[in-house]
Amino acid sequence: MIHILKKIERDIYPYLPFQITQLLQQVDEAALKNIIEIRLRTNRPLQLVLPNGSYAVQEHGKLSSDFQKGYICSEVDVTHTIQAMSKNSFYALEQELRMGYITLEGGHRVGIAGQAILNDGKLKAIKNISSMNIRISREVKNCAEPILSYLIDHHTRIFNTLIIAPPRCGKTTLLRDIVRSLGSGKINFSSVQVGVVDERSEITACKNGIPTLDIGDSVDVLDGCPKSTGILMLIRSMAPDVIVTDELGREEDVIALSEALHAGVSVITSVHGDCIENVRNRPYVKQLIEEKYFDRYVVLTDRPGIGTVREIISVKDETVLFSRKNDKGASLCC
Amino acid sequence: MLLKLVGSIFVIFAGSYLGFSIAKRYIKRPNNLRQVLSCIVSLKSYINYTVMPLSDSLMNCAMGANREVTNFFTTTADLLKNNYLLLPQEAIQRSLILHKNKLSLTNEDCEVLLLFGSHLGEMDREEQQKYLTMIQKRLEILEGEATVLRDKNSKMYRYLGVCGSLMVVLLLL
Repeated sequence: MIHILKKIERDIYPYLPFQITQLLQQVDEAALKNIIEIRLRTNRPLQLVLPNGSYAVQEHGKLSSDFQKGYICSEVDVTHTIQAMSKNSFYALEQELRMGYITLEGGHRVGIAGQAILNDGKLKAIKNISSMNIRISREVKNCAEPILSYLIDHHTRIFNTLIIAPPRCGKTTLLRDIVRSLGSGKINFSSVQVGVVDERSEITACKNGIPTLDIGDSVDVLDGCPKSTGILMLIRSMAPDVIVTDELGREEDVIALSEALHAGVSVITSVHGDCIENVRNRPYVKQLIEEKYFDRYVVLTDRPGIGTVREIISVKDETVLFSRKNDKGASLCC
Repeated sequence: MLLKLVGSIFVIFAGSYLGFSIAKRYIKRPNNLRQVLSCIVSLKSYINYTVMPLSDSLMNCAMGANREVTNFFTTTADLLKNNYLLLPQEAIQRSLILHKNKLSLTNEDCEVLLLFGSHLGEMDREEQQKYLTMIQKRLEILEGEATVLRDKNSKMYRYLGVCGSLMVVLLLL
């Protein structure tokens, strides 16, 4: 496993302006190891998001909660960073930029915000990018091990599972390790073929279509493909036993997913929300909840730490298989 | 006498060489501009259809061009690949400093190439195509002018080199 500091140095620093890189290199290593996000905003302070809050970076890499004293990002800092991250190829990231993010090598997602350009009422592009949120991707091996037994039905099939969590709770990290565990035959299954539809290149961090992270031997990845198209493509072409995908939300995702569920392929996926009641109110996804398409819900929280499993629910018999209320202090993941 | 003869031959050779090398520049310029144009057409395809990152597109579009033009594009591509923070225009500028003389380009040609780099990679595909078409048209005009200059001047400079040196010899003798 690559050390997180080396990962930041390899995947993030080459894109950041010299002054910012120099400041980050001086930040205390212990803090940098726990970094969740780096936020750049034009004419506002550079921020590091750590598990215990956001900090501005002062001279000599000193972290402070007083944002006024921190390094102020200039317009050039932000534009050069986004230009470098796109490798001077905005045209190649048209679709991603329209959706408000790009993904760096190593699976780090960079959210962007700026001025929207509309064409016939639809978002055509984002120009004058003024805010960036670099989310540091982590590979936490074996973090899914404690919950795997809840996701497998007597070694005969994998349960359709929905991971529910708000942003920054470790959904993608958990999914990545589930893929690795299933794909490397860690469970007592013989030859589980795993198909991953990695729309944002976050789960497997593909470079030129080849995964750069350890995801196991029996995994096929459809990189950068919309879920709605990718799920059906994988079913037809790669005959997977289980399909893993991230962040449901759109109507077409739900339609494709219900097709997969009816095609006898197990599905493991995630959705934003902090409990089932919340997800039930989301358009499109609520249909999957109401019609009980899934067998298991895994609810994650960031308290006391990122990746803590709050609940594992068996949907069909409506029982709570695991709850942090019952099992105080137990943190299963990440 | 022998010294005069050797000196005369030297002057004729030097004058002819000067004339031929100036003529060669006139001949090379439209040829190189044509090669740059075909690279830009190819770059448009790499951007529009294969959607390759700029450095790879620049590297690939120069395949099949002559050595000078290939070197110009590959140097630009290498500079961009090795330093993500470098802008395409800066990379083209650095590459031109290295290859301008070998490419036999004029300052006006270089200005269009710098303009070519100024918005390269910072637009969506549709806008990038429009921009490259505009650059293509400007280069076509320059190529047309360069062809006219080549037809007019290349023979003239060759004759001027040879005849001028002969005249110098006659005057000296």
